[in-house]
Order: sequence, then C-alpha cells, then structure tokens
Amino acid sequence: MEPQTSTLMEVEAANRVNLPTKPNFEPLKAHEMSEGRVQSRKVSVPPHRYTPLKKAWMDIYTPIFEQMKIDIRMNLKARKVELKTRADTPDISNLQKCADFVHAFMLGFDVIDAIALLRMDELYVESFEIKDVKTLRGEHLSRAIGRLSGKGGKTKFAIENSTKTRIVIADTKIHILGSFANLKIARDSLCSLILGSPAGKVYSKLRAVTARLAERF
Amino acid sequence: MSNSNPNNGGLEALHRLKSTEPPLFLAPSPDLSQAARLASKYVFSLLQPHCPKSPFDNLLVDEFDAEQIWQRIDIQSQPLVSNLRRELNKFEKNPELVSKGFDRFKDEKKTQEREIEEQYDEMDGYYDDDGDKMDGLDDEEEMDGLDEGEDDDDDEEEEEEEEEEKGRIAGIEDRFLKVKELEEFLEDGEARGYGLQKKKGNRKVDKKKKSEGSDEEDEEEGEDDEDDAEDEDEDEDEELGDLGFSDDDDEGLDKLGNARLMLWTRLVRGDKAKIVVDCCYFGIIMIEEKGFKSKSKPIKESEDSDFGNDEGSGSMHEEILSTHEREHMRHQSDIEQMEKVNLEPKTWTMQGEVTAAKRPKNSALEVDLDFEHNIRPAPVITEEVTATLEEIIQKRILEGRFDDVQKPATLPSKAPREYKEMDENKSKKGLAEVYEEEYVQKTDPASAPLTFSDEQKEASMLFKTLCLKLDALSHFHFAPKPVIEDMSIQANVPALALEEIAPVAISDAAILAPEEIFAGKGDIKEEAELTQEERKRRRANKKRKFKAETAKRIANKAQTTIWAKLRIIVKSTAYMSSINKKNPLTTEAAASLLPPDNMPAKTPITAAVPQLTVPGNLVLP
Repeated sequence: MEPQTSTLMEVEAANRVNLPTKPNFEPLKAHEMSEGRVQSRKVSVPPHRYTPLKKAWMDIYTPIFEQMKIDIRMNLKARKVELKTRADTPDISNLQKCADFVHAFMLGFDVIDAIALLRMDELYVESFEIKDVKTLRGEHLSRAIGRLSGKGGKTKFAIENSTKTRIVIADTKIHILGSFANLKIARDSLCSLILGSPAGKVYSKLRAVTARLAERF
Repeated sequence: MSNSNPNNGGLEALHRLKSTEPPLFLAPSPDLSQAARLASKYVFSLLQPHCPKSPFDNLLVDEFDAEQIWQRIDIQSQPLVSNLRRELNKFEKNPELVSKGFDRFKDEKKTQEREIEEQYDEMDGYYDDDGDKMDGLDDEEEMDGLDEGEDDDDDEEEEEEEEEEKGRIAGIEDRFLKVKELEEFLEDGEARGYGLQKKKGNRKVDKKKKSEGSDEEDEEEGEDDEDDAEDEDEDEDEELGDLGFSDDDDEGLDKLGNARLMLWTRLVRGDKAKIVVDCCYFGIIMIEEKGFKSKSKPIKESEDSDFGNDEGSGSMHEEILSTHEREHMRHQSDIEQMEKVNLEPKTWTMQGEVTAAKRPKNSALEVDLDFEHNIRPAPVITEEVTATLEEIIQKRILEGRFDDVQKPATLPSKAPREYKEMDENKSKKGLAEVYEEEYVQKTDPASAPLTFSDEQKEASMLFKTLCLKLDALSHFHFAPKPVIEDMSIQANVPALALEEIAPVAISDAAILAPEEIFAGKGDIKEEAELTQEERKRRRANKKRKFKAETAKRIANKAQTTIWAKLRIIVKSTAYMSSINKKNPLTTEAAASLLPPDNMPAKTPITAAVPQLTVPGNLVLP
C-alpha cells in the first residue's frame, strides 16, 4: 500500500505547511502580569537602622533602581522604605528580591552582604531567638550572648568565615544570612554555643564539617 | 752281698765327698778319686733298676778312664731322662696319680734324698775343678761321669722335691682353687704381655741362676745352643713326654719332674729360691738333654730318627725366629686383637644417636659427655657487672639519651587536605563576592583570580621593592625597575637629568627612544633633501587627504542637521497631537515614525543601556 502511505505523508506535509508558526511568547512583565497595576512593597525601618540607612542610601538605591528596575523611595513620615514596580521591570521576582534586600539591611546586615540577596536566588535569611534554643535568664543569657560572639567577635567571625554566612546577633535575636546548607551548619554551631559547649569544640566540629563540604566540590 | 758292700762303700764315699771341703777338690788326690768312683758306681747301681734299656748292670770304674765312665753313665741316663719326661707328662695329665706315687715313694725317697744331696755337694766341688787343668783325663772323666751322675742326682732331687711340692699343692687345692687353672691363667697373661720375650728372659734368668750355682763353661756353651733351640714351655713338656718313661715306678718321678718344670715356668718369681734354682737346673738339664738328644738322636734313639722329625714333632715353634719375624708375630697378634674388637658391636658411646633405652641405666652419668653449647651462657652477675650497668645508666641520664621506642612515620595515605585556618577576623569581602568567587571557581577554575590574601599581596610587594633596592646597590648586577604600566607622562629629557641612585656613567641619551619620538617608515627625507617631483607628490597627497576629510565633515554635519530638523518636526507634531487629545501620540510612537536608526550616531538619543554601578568616575567613550 505504498501509494497510500505516500499520499498520507503528502497530506501531512501539506498540513504542516498550512499551519502557522508557533507563537513565541516573551515572559510577562510585571505590568502586564498585574494587568497594568503596580505592585509595591513596604519595609519598615527600625529606629537603630535609621542613621545607617541614611548613610548607605545611595548604595541601596542604585542597584535597586538601576539594575532591578524597581522604584524605591523612603517615606520619612511613616519611616518605611517603599518599593514599586515599574513598567520595565523585567521580572516580578525583582520586587521581592529588593524587598528582601532592604529587609536584610534593616535586620542589621551590611549592604555588601545583603547585595548577595539581589544577585543570588538561593540565599536565605534565618532568624531565631536564644530562648527558642534554651531558656536562659539573667547572667546566663548574658554569658550565652558572650559565648556566641566571643572575644572581639572572633567566634562569630570564625563561624561566618568557615560557613560562608553572615551572622547578626542583636541581643537575644540571631539572624543568619546564607545558602541553605551553610545556614544549617551555622545554626547548629550557634545552637551548640548557646547550649554551653566551649568554642574550641565548636571550632573542631566546624572544621570537620566545612572540610567535608569543601571536598564535595 | 756284692751289692750291699759296694753300696755301703758307695754311701760312705758319697758321704765323704759331701763332707770334704770344696777347695780340697782342687788338689788331685787319689782318695777322693777313689771315693768318687765308688759313689758313682753306687748311684749307677741305684738307678739301674729304673732303666729298662741300660746295657750295663754295673759301672766298672776301676780300670777305666773318666771319659769311659762318663760314657757309660750317659748311656744309662739318657733313656732314663726320657722316661722321666714321659712320667711327668702323665702326672701332668692325671694329677691324682701323683698322690698315689707320692705315698708309695715317700719313705723310700726321703732316705735317698740326703744321699743325693751329699753327692750333689760333692759334685759341686768337682765342677769347680773345670776351671783349672787337672792331671789326667781321669779326673775329667770322673767329672764328666760325676756330672752325669750329678745331673741324675739333680733329677732325683728335683723330682723328690717336686713330689713334696705336689703333696703340698694337693693340700691347698680344693674344688674352687685349682693350681693348674691358676697356672694357665698366669701363663696366658704372661704370654700376652711378654710374648716370646719371656722365653728369652727366662733363659737369661736360667743363665744367671746357672752362673750362681755353677761355673760350668760347658754347660754355658751348651745352654747358648739350647737357648737358640728352645722355644716354648709346652714344647718342653712334650719333649719330656717324648723322652718316655716305661716304668710305673718312674711315673711318679716323671710326673714330679713335669710338675717341677711347670712350677718353674709359671712361678718365675718364685717362692723359694732353691726351688727356682732347682727348676732352673732341671730345665737346663731338660734343655741339655733335648739338645743332646736332638744331636745324638740318629745315633742313640730309634724312635725319633730324623732331626727334621724331631722338629716336626716339636711343631714349628722349634725353628729359629729372627727379630723381624718375632716383631711380625707380635704385630699379627695385635692386628688380630684389633680386628676382633672391630667385629664386635661398638660400645654405646661410640654409636651415633643413642636413646636412653639403648644404653644401660645410668651409663650417661659415668661417661664424661662433652657437646657444643650453641647458646651463649647466661652472664654471671657480679658486683662489677652491676657497677658498670649503673655507670652506663647514670651517664645516659646526664646526657639525656634514652633509647625510647619511636613511632614509625605513618605514610600519608591521602594528600593532605588544604588546611584552612580558622579566620577569626571580620571578612573583608562581602558575602556576594564570596559566592561569586565560589561560582567562578566552579564554572571556570582557570579564570578564577588567584586567591591571594591581602596580607600576602602586601608582603610580596614589600619584598619586591626590597629586592630592587638591593640589586640597585650592587652595581654590576643592576636590574632595571620593574615596569608597572601606569599612565604617566614622560618628558623627553636627557637621562642624566632624572634622579638616579648611583650615577654610573654620564650619558646624553634621551629618555624617549627614537621610535617614541618619531615613528615612520620608508625613506625619510627632510624638506631640503626633496626633489621637485617629490615635493609635488607630497603636496598632492596632502591635498587629497584634506579634501577627503572636509567632505566627511560636511556630510556629518549635514546628517546631524537633518536629524535635528527631523526631531524638531517630531516634537512639534507630538505637541500638536497632545493638544489634540483624541489621538495621543507617545514619544515612542513618534520615534517609531522616524526611520530606523542605522546611522552611527555620535550622540546616543536614548540609549537605555543598563549600567552596572561601577566605582569611580570613569566614563567610557
């Protein structure tokens, strides 16, 4: 039945020719997605971050506005930073990233550290309190905080350097910025410090873990 | 009657001879000679019944010479001696006959003994006469006869004494102790120890003994001959046996004689000197008899005719052996002994491996065992040893040199991991940079910037500057400054003018190189050198270039003016439209009306190029 197959094929070919080309859709812009509506975010500024914000405003503004294409302004009366999508915002996730970036700054992280949030997707900020780990009161709490930071902050820095994270200890609150795996390691070491293990022990564990991590790559 | 008178006379004569002093014999005296004749006749008659074959009944002494008398005595005594020998052999074999004979003859012999002794002493005197020449042959004959008689007497004497001895021995002997066995044992021992030498020694002893008793030269001579001829004791016994004794009466005598001989040979050391002496004499007699017998065999005896037979009967031991042959015999006996020992199984000490079962009990204790010890014997700890040890210990402690066990260096199984020091300082890089570096390393390890820490950079810079300065100070190894490509203006000033640390040489070379001053190719000529055509050519080129440039400029200007005009138009239209609100025309729409922007615009209109926040104020063209 060769003539039949050949005719079939011809028909198909003909059909193929007749069909229009596939449409090539570009990703929706923020405006189009929201059907022209503008999306915005508002990040409140705690009072102790007011002055640092003022100092580092341009560093914050430039990347957001220039590269993320997000409108950013500081509402002085409400003490909030407002972020708004523009028409040319390429991706809706930009707004969230910028919001996270600003929020990280408000928590206490440096701009250069927080910038990483804009650049990388997989970075997260984790916050927890000392009382979540162990109920400590009075001197014990103070001592725990002291243990966490170490002398001149060396313990904190040691953890930061070895796990490629950034840690902010604000009284009883602890904020950690980093990738998921590193975050976990940092959290574990901090928890062990809170629970009472000496710094040397934490260091040794850190060393082992980070070596393993480094080997994997 | 005839007998008794001469007997009495004979006895008396014997007594007389015995009683006379020996020196009296020196001087010739007819009385003594008469007495001697009578005595010899008496003895002859006594012996006559014992001799079966003697042709004479009496010894006629009156008219005969000494030699004739002697010959007659000899004729009688020779068969007698052989008989005696035979009897001795018999007694040797059957000792019980001795006692019988002994009892029988005891009493008789006792009486005769003394007579014989007397005669013996008398004979001694005559023996002395040998040395001096006596008158007439009578004396010599007498002496010979006496000798013969004396010999016979000696025989009897010895036989009697032998009998006595035998009786005594019979008393000693019982079922445990046999003198014969003792003698045999002694003989064996002596034969082994001495061998043939013993015979010689004995012969020598015989000589000595003989010399003590008598000074007979004849006998000595005879003995020498006999020494050569004699060999062994058994032979003598045989000879004794050979002599033969027919009479039963003589049995005892013969046996006594045999026993006497045996005693002599066995008990050389001798209990009684006299017995020894007598034995010697008896032996001598036997020897003599044998010798004479051997010589006179063919004449007198019919039984053993040949010398050779005698020898043959006497066995090979009779032949004369040389010193070498004797040595050889001794060696042979030694060899036989050794071979016998070798054939036997060895003692357990000579065998190789011997277990306890194979050797007798406790035999290892008796033997002095010696074997090699391969282990070094344990050192004996003395005070000196401990002192030396303590010295060594103290010295070591002072030095601090302890021989501790050192751990062996473990081989690295894996390459050592890159050890990252725990940095306890605030990191200078931002988190973003950290991750950026990590990412770059992952994707493209080659292009990743060297992870030089700042400190290291600083250190390396410092070191470089230091090295440079040091090199400059050492003139002849001068290394130029490292060129760090910074933008810097260099004035074309002679080198000397610039600061130099050590002005080595004066040079008027400019800083800038000629190429830097002027870069051109081809044959460069100055204005003055040019020819007319060249000048014209140059002018023509210049003009051409100028014309091209100007045309270009104008064109650009024109374009810009066109664009400017167009813009104005657009703006105006936009304004107009804005006034007219029905159709609002955005700037974009108006821009889209314009022709596409193909011309390379020097001033960008709306270049929405996203720029990274670059530090510094560098504006890229």
